[in-house]
Amino acid sequence: MKEPVYEVFARKTREEPLRHIGYVNAMSGDLARVYAWTTYDEQNWIEMCVVPRSAILPVDPEESQFVHDTSVRDSEDELVHMTGTGSYGGGDVAVKEAP
Amino acid sequence: MSTALADAPAFEKAEQLPADLRAPLRDLVLALADSKRVLGLRYSDRMLGAPTLEAGIAASSMAQDEWGHGRLTYALLSDLGDDPKVLEHERPGAEYRSNPALDAGFGSWSDMIACNLLIDGALSAQYGALAESRYAPVRTRVQKLLDEERFHFQYAAGWARRIAGVEQLRGELFASFERYLVEAVRWLGRDEDAGVRRLVEEGVVREGPSAVRARFLGRVGPVLEEIGMAEALGVSRGADGWSYARELDWDGWDESTRRRGGGLDEETAARARGDRNRAMLLD
Repeated sequence: MKEPVYEVFARKTREEPLRHIGYVNAMSGDLARVYAWTTYDEQNWIEMCVVPRSAILPVDPEESQFVHDTSVRDSEDELVHMTGTGSYGGGDVAVKEAP
Repeated sequence: MSTALADAPAFEKAEQLPADLRAPLRDLVLALADSKRVLGLRYSDRMLGAPTLEAGIAASSMAQDEWGHGRLTYALLSDLGDDPKVLEHERPGAEYRSNPALDAGFGSWSDMIACNLLIDGALSAQYGALAESRYAPVRTRVQKLLDEERFHFQYAAGWARRIAGVEQLRGELFASFERYLVEAVRWLGRDEDAGVRRLVEEGVVREGPSAVRARFLGRVGPVLEEIGMAEALGVSRGADGWSYARELDWDGWDESTRRRGGGLDEETAARARGDRNRAMLLD
């Protein structure tokens, strides 16, 4: 099970266009919305949207940052087998060892 | 709320409340504040222990939200004759009225998500019953809190679906739901509680325990149903809405504390009080 990438777009006023501010990895659109809201909360955004990277069709793939999806993680493997020694602490879902 | 009550003047201050409403309102607000404070602590334990970085950041954000909600709720008690500073920083664990499900820390990520969905959800349902309160200090503060809670619910629902999709973890998740659900459902109380009935009669609380419970189950039931656990947990959808089929044990139930005894351990209470940083406490 791969954890998809969602690109995050936001704006601070109704007048300004949405701009790309980053991305999150998430298993669903719902989680992507929460992660975007909590990860990019340093600004007082009036609107924030997430878009699955897979839904973005670059007009010129050679020049686009959205084509090469190297940050997709195998989330189920992480969820079940993580050993708790990750750089940010790991977790106890991690205690589940591979059968 | 009846039309007559909706048109009735608001209670701008606690001194305008009928005298017999003050104690049950204080009980309710303190139980909410303590539960928020301890829930924030429990979330904070997972800031660095989440399965993914984004999940940890969100847990951190929720922990801060809960402490903010707790502080906001404690502040309401000054109008009811309490000193919020004493309530926040000077009580022993035995005096905390937090939901008993929060007495112990999370044993697993499934515990975290079950508590997020069910205990946080029950608190939100109870806050929701205050959103149109005739008691103005409560009404004016609740909506922002409920807006933030929408993200907490999305987080819990998203993670519940995700964990439930991993066969090895379904048993653990079910056990967590089973443990937290009974405490969530019971914490909302009984209709025969005279104090709560009076709060409803005067329009301070929109509806009584059974109605709040049904609203809570209407929120979490579809998630439990979607992941195939609702029926086994005793949660079902009927013609009159969602219900919880299992019998609740009310032995020892204290309406004022919303507990059946026990209490918060001193180590957790010390964290909730902020003992470590007491020297830097400002007025």
